[in-house]
Amino acid sequence: MGKHASHHEIAPGVFLERMGLFFDDVVVGDTYEHRPGKTFSAEESVQHTLRALDQSPALTDAHFHARASSGAQPINPLHVLAVVTGMMTKTFSKIVANLAWQNVKFHDTVRAGETVYAESTVLEKRPSKSRPGQGIIRVSTTARTQDGRVVCTFERQILIYGAGQGPYAAAGY
Amino acid sequence: MSAFTAYVPVGENRYRERFGLDFEQFAVGQKFKHRPGLTLSQQDSRDECLDTLNQQMLHFDEQFAAHGEWKRCLMDSTLTTKVVMGMTWKTFAKHTRLLGFDEIALPKPTFGGDTLYAESEILAVGAESEQPHAGRVRVRTVGLNQRSEVVATLTYELLVARAGYDAFTRLDY
Repeated sequence: MGKHASHHEIAPGVFLERMGLFFDDVVVGDTYEHRPGKTFSAEESVQHTLRALDQSPALTDAHFHARASSGAQPINPLHVLAVVTGMMTKTFSKIVANLAWQNVKFHDTVRAGETVYAESTVLEKRPSKSRPGQGIIRVSTTARTQDGRVVCTFERQILIYGAGQGPYAAAGY
Repeated sequence: MSAFTAYVPVGENRYRERFGLDFEQFAVGQKFKHRPGLTLSQQDSRDECLDTLNQQMLHFDEQFAAHGEWKRCLMDSTLTTKVVMGMTWKTFAKHTRLLGFDEIALPKPTFGGDTLYAESEILAVGAESEQPHAGRVRVRTVGLNQRSEVVATLTYELLVARAGYDAFTRLDY
């Protein structure tokens, strides 16, 4: 079974869905295109902003935005970062810990009605010194709108399980 | 009391809520303790995952999480990030742009039931800016839980409007 298999055959003719790369499967230089994309609405951005205790008028008051600026309502950049990170969770799912985001840049505003797609390239991998069998990978992620405008880029360091490690089989995954 | 004001007078015995410091009011070394804090539930984490395409089951499958290192579901770190940043909005309400993060680090996990508070320190203040009536402010915001443990450290740069040039003043908001 290859590292990109979508299912385990756990008994003859019985297939268990699987997703994601173990440390051993990660190849520096490989790029993964994440799907699906996501279309952002003004309402969801307002809701996520308010639930984070943020009442910035530019993000919550459409009338204020219309007077202060132009174009469709801006989507909270932290919500964009959260969605792009969420998009990575199928390929980069064998995670022990999310160590950090680095060099996060918001190149342009995502606006209500726009759709964002993300892709990630593996920059680096190294075995963990303190955690045998596990390793740290560094990936670079780019998010673009439906017409190719780059809106957000960042790097992430993730600690991931080696092949055969982790709670997957025991937990029925 | 500080020189920072929460209201602008708009008539006799009439005051309007007004948020955020002007660029000129920020100085290196200032520390801000943001209020209120927020108690997060595991349901908040599940909602965040489902809204952001996040399929990392460590955040929403308790049976799976029980087999793992933490024995229970972890708070989705994008929610921790949003809330810690969101709690800072009243101090930084006159920012015109979030340029990006140097780093977002999550040194300790957060679980449902934990309460988060945010504190910020001004690291640098720079007059030069791509916007004419704004300056750059470099900030480090930390998220603290109810035991005062640091669960998030965010280092970032904002453009903040100069006195009189913020949209609230311009639009008599």
